[in-house]
Amino acid sequence: MTASRRLVLTLGGGALATLTMAARIGAAAVEVIEMRGTERGDRVWFAPRGLAVATGTTLRFVNLDKGNSHTATAYHPALFDRRRRIPAGAQPWDSDFLLPDESFEVTLTAPGVYDYYCLPHEMAGMAGRIVVGDPADPGWEDASSDTEDVSPEVLASLPSAEDILARGRIGTELDG
Amino acid sequence: MERTLIAATALLIATAAVSTAQEANAPEQAPPGDPFVQVSDALPLPEFIPGLGTLFVDPATLPAGPFLAYDHDGKLSATVYMTPLEELQNGTAYDDLATASDTVTGVDIYYNAGHPGVDKPHAHVVLFHDPDAKARLAK
Repeated sequence: MTASRRLVLTLGGGALATLTMAARIGAAAVEVIEMRGTERGDRVWFAPRGLAVATGTTLRFVNLDKGNSHTATAYHPALFDRRRRIPAGAQPWDSDFLLPDESFEVTLTAPGVYDYYCLPHEMAGMAGRIVVGDPADPGWEDASSDTEDVSPEVLASLPSAEDILARGRIGTELDG
Repeated sequence: MERTLIAATALLIATAAVSTAQEANAPEQAPPGDPFVQVSDALPLPEFIPGLGTLFVDPATLPAGPFLAYDHDGKLSATVYMTPLEELQNGTAYDDLATASDTVTGVDIYYNAGHPGVDKPHAHVVLFHDPDAKARLAK
């Protein structure tokens, strides 16, 4: 497993255009989402668990949990046959297992609401929500309304898109 | 990812059988040898887990273990058991589990939300085999 992997997700022919633009204007914005856990592993979480970003922002998931491994995995049929909880125009991503201090990056270019989870800790409610852009953006897709494919614990950990847009980030610390 | 999941699945399938009494006592120095495997070689977990040390387990005994816990110098320090709460609640009993040593100087029991290999929320039962073991396994 490499210490850092990068995946640029765009739509079809937009990939080259996005890369060209990024090269022209310099490094794009990067937001960090920490994967955290208590010393004994009784609690695990993403910090923040709700985050609003501009379209084209790169998310860097970093495992700061010294005693555990984590993943950041999008809800999508292509990944473990889960129901889609990211915009229809977005590509799903899976970080694979990240050991302590390893990281993974993904760039989100389709506006809308993205839900993701940690593969070995979904049962513990370790999930997060990213809002890309805002509802006025062309192609915007709101949060999934499905409540059957995910547990009550996961649903409880996902802030509403409205709250995320209003506050920018939610849950920078445990229970925050 | 696929290889990891296959390994984890194979280990979890082995948990269908309730653990039976094991031979007591394990080598004082790591590695303990067959049938034990180093957990970090089979699953995506750190080689040394703070609080638990370097773990070895016989896959046939998962999820309960015993896991043999060694410190940074390879000294046997603790025996660890991992018992999923759901299984306990449903009536599964983990009886006659072996200990890595006949000497037990302290016991810690605490909740764990899950990790690769034992994804379900479970209890960690840690038997320390000497008074300094807990400190040596801490970091």
